Amino acid sequence: MSSNDFYVRYYVGHKGKFGHEFLEFEFRPDGKLRYANNSNYKNDTIIRKEVYVSGSVMAELRRIIEDSEIMQEDDSDWPVPDRVGRQELEIVLGDEHVSFTTSKIGSLADVTNSDDVEGLRCFYYLVQDLKCMVFSLIGLHFKIKPI
Amino acid sequence: MSDVLDLQGEAGEFEDEVEDDEQNVNKLKERVKRRKGRGFRGDGTAREDIRDYEAMEADAGDQSGPGPQRSVEGWILIVTGVNEEAQEDDIHQKFADYGEIKNLHLNLDRRTGFLKGYALVEFSSYAEAQKAKNELNNSTIFDQEIKVDWCFVKEPKRRGFRGRH
Repeated sequence: MSSNDFYVRYYVGHKGKFGHEFLEFEFRPDGKLRYANNSNYKNDTIIRKEVYVSGSVMAELRRIIEDSEIMQEDDSDWPVPDRVGRQELEIVLGDEHVSFTTSKIGSLADVTNSDDVEGLRCFYYLVQDLKCMVFSLIGLHFKIKPI
Repeated sequence: MSDVLDLQGEAGEFEDEVEDDEQNVNKLKERVKRRKGRGFRGDGTAREDIRDYEAMEADAGDQSGPGPQRSVEGWILIVTGVNEEAQEDDIHQKFADYGEIKNLHLNLDRRTGFLKGYALVEFSSYAEAQKAKNELNNSTIFDQEIKVDWCFVKEPKRRGFRGRH
């Protein structure tokens, strides 16, 4: 298994009064981190940033994903995306590729009320950890408040 | 006249690189053995085709990678292998010996509330960051070995012979 066979993409967004508002980031196998945030509420500009992260950052990201055991989950019993919004998590790890979709999760209560509490909880916390890492990386590198 | 030709040449090359990049990700996805999730169905994604991402300028006269990439206000290191029970002070003390720490992010595991295991440390000068990296890599915090490396790097050189495989 090539250690370069690793890709992560997360999207959260909705289409409404202010158009298509979303946040998306991806880590490509060569270390390219791309970050886009389109919020039309306060200003109509889209933030698009990219930077190459080192192998150490990619290894740490990979550790976080492996430790989460998200690759063993399945989105078949998760709430489906709705008018309020959708989330997408796509990961290639070695020879496995998952592409999960679900609705927005407002709080842990949405998780405990779902049909797959274990799996959705895993997703819920992993997404928070990933966002936290990306906001630190982008925020520090470009000196912006990512949200 | 020659200016115009040059511009066209550059634009063409840029397009190739964008497509190469996409192709690499697509090849990676084609190689997998197992697929799982609703994202593979018709209504798979709501993402848009976004182009023209902004990046930091590479330093003048230093365009040839590899090597660390400067951030807007300084040089950022990533520390991994941080003991989950360490405190901000433990990291701060260790790194402050090498210069003023401009920023320190020590993120938490959202599930446990303990440290996630990595930290980002920013120095304003390259020399300070490099010294901290060299001397603190493989050192320990709470008996646990930490790794210290540059957080950001210059764009890797692309392999020649585009589309060879």
